[in-house]
Amino acid sequence: MNWSLFWDLTVSGLTLGSVYSLIALGYSMVYGILKLLNFAHGDVYMIGAFVGYFALQGLGGPQNPSVSVWLVVSLMFLAAMLGGGLLGVVIERFAYRPLRDAPRIAPLISALGVSFFLQNAALLVFGASFRDYGTFDLIGGKTYHRGNVFLSVPQILTIVTALLLMIGLTLFVARSKIGKAMRATSFDREAASMMGIDVDRVIASTFFIGSALAGAAGVMFGLVFGQIYHYMGFIAGLKGFTAAVIGGIGSIPGAMLGGLLVGLAESYSTGYLPQGSTFQNLYVFALLILIILIRPSGILGKADVKKV
Amino acid sequence: MRSRRATAVAALLALGAAFAIVAAASATVNRSAAPAAASSAGSKLISCGTTRTMGVLEPITGPAASLGKLQNDWIQFYVNSHNRTHKKAKLRLAKGDTVLGGPGGTAEAVKAAQSLASNVLGVIGPAGSNEVKAATPTLMNAGFAFVSGSATNTEITSDGTRKGFFFRTVPPDAIQSTSVSNFINKKLKFKRVYIIDDQEAYSTGLADAVQSKLRAAGVTVTRDGVSQQQSDFSALIAKIPRDTQIVYIPWQLPPKGKAFGEQMRSAGKGSINLMGSDGLFDDAFASLSGVYASSFPTSGSHPIVKAFKKAHGGDAEFFGAPSYVAAQVVGGAIDRACKDGKATRAEVRAQVRKTNLKKTLLGFNVKFNSVGDIAGGQFGIWKSNGTAFLPVG
Repeated sequence: MNWSLFWDLTVSGLTLGSVYSLIALGYSMVYGILKLLNFAHGDVYMIGAFVGYFALQGLGGPQNPSVSVWLVVSLMFLAAMLGGGLLGVVIERFAYRPLRDAPRIAPLISALGVSFFLQNAALLVFGASFRDYGTFDLIGGKTYHRGNVFLSVPQILTIVTALLLMIGLTLFVARSKIGKAMRATSFDREAASMMGIDVDRVIASTFFIGSALAGAAGVMFGLVFGQIYHYMGFIAGLKGFTAAVIGGIGSIPGAMLGGLLVGLAESYSTGYLPQGSTFQNLYVFALLILIILIRPSGILGKADVKKV
Repeated sequence: MRSRRATAVAALLALGAAFAIVAAASATVNRSAAPAAASSAGSKLISCGTTRTMGVLEPITGPAASLGKLQNDWIQFYVNSHNRTHKKAKLRLAKGDTVLGGPGGTAEAVKAAQSLASNVLGVIGPAGSNEVKAATPTLMNAGFAFVSGSATNTEITSDGTRKGFFFRTVPPDAIQSTSVSNFINKKLKFKRVYIIDDQEAYSTGLADAVQSKLRAAGVTVTRDGVSQQQSDFSALIAKIPRDTQIVYIPWQLPPKGKAFGEQMRSAGKGSINLMGSDGLFDDAFASLSGVYASSFPTSGSHPIVKAFKKAHGGDAEFFGAPSYVAAQVVGGAIDRACKDGKATRAEVRAQVRKTNLKKTLLGFNVKFNSVGDIAGGQFGIWKSNGTAFLPVG
């Protein structure tokens, strides 16, 4: 067993998985509340990455930041989360809310439309060129290692930040008033409304939080992998959706677990399976099919029980 | 029972209709490839006027839009320069989006080719080799000369099916692969090489050619591939043995090449040499000190390159440079064919064949051989000093 390769692949999988987890959380939260597959979510992640990039440029760029590096990184996350969150609220207000009582296919088509709109709007506004986060200049290329485990600073930053955000979200949903309202709305929207919960506000909050997490994931991606561009949300969105389904769509811990599993599956298939890097999507989506066949509601999802 | 029968009848009718559509479509494809049709469309007289139209088929949207932008910048630069000196014979561009690498595949290139208006005299592009193959029947049927600045697949000229219609201003993979394999094997004398293609036609064709030449020379080659859409290379880099002497990445997107190099350094494998193809011959990739790239023997001090850099914030965007030459070829042919105020596409094709451009910005003269390749086209090897590429072989 080549342990060096194993640990390299594990670190790579966990890093990528952290990004997928944050994207999957948005899919899962929205589905939990509205039973809507928000296919524009991957593009919110892309916009978040661009907001983070422009925040970095506004603060002097990676080579000459006007404040300390860690403050720059924090402000990038803040700007991307705020930008992503607001975009999510706007999308909900104008593309989904008017269709809330329409047949389920209508908001799905609307979601696809918003996705293409955002993708092309980004192309129009930001241009087709790749944007470079310049992580090497900003943070440096230093790598820490213990035994066979090598971790770069952006990888540590990504894994730790994702972990903190996931813990924060779990506590928020479990303990805060709005979190309880979100759970109630998810359980039965009409009953929640009759109990005095402002459902519109809860749904808007859900979109804000889910989209803010996608914005954070966009910045993480830029910091670890360097380059962002208008088309980056398409595949990442699909992988985030896959992660949400594998973990059990509608389940917050499920989304986290699903994201990490997809990241690790991608990484191990690249490292160990024949032509793994070429056909990694084949292996990842085969995993999706396998898990769905064994557990149709995902690993931590609950089967829909209906009174008959 | 009745409803089941009705469903069966409807299904049969639908099947029949589908067959009819497929048959009609096949017939259309066959007709469009017929040389007789090509000659009639190509011989139609088009009034040149004071502004002549050149078609451009390039990826404006989709995953490879960044490549299209580089080409478009150079083509537009040519048109602007041309129009400053030809007030009564200006050029304008009719652009078609081929969405290279998008979910619609090469069908988008065919649609873009079909959308070219009747006043278009000649075409620059398509950008990708597979797009050239797919759009050929449409472009030949319309009688166009089409000149690509980036389609390098050897077969598209060597198979002879586009003779007289298709031309390119980049030397084919066969020439580039020879330069690359000779440099790795004979000059660097490396014996352990890792090749990673980006799963696109350009990249796999070039990677195949370099791989076979290196293996024939006794070099140990490990082959891998990664999607052009991917930005996380860490798992792939983990697989590369530490005793590898050089990693060859014939990719098209310089920022991806840069990200790969940075991630190699992050993974502690920065001591392994890295080499790209002409697709990575760009300032973004050159920012990684010590990397190699193969490219045409252009010079940053060429007056046109200097003027372009000045107009584009200091970036030479070299990937698009052959498209400038393609525009020069098509624009020049249109100028000559339009001398009497009217021209046919067949006349433009004939003028493209007669092209003889001296001292182009690519570093060599451009004159086409019988199959549409540049006669005497060549590739050199360059090494980055951290800001720019310098010739080393």
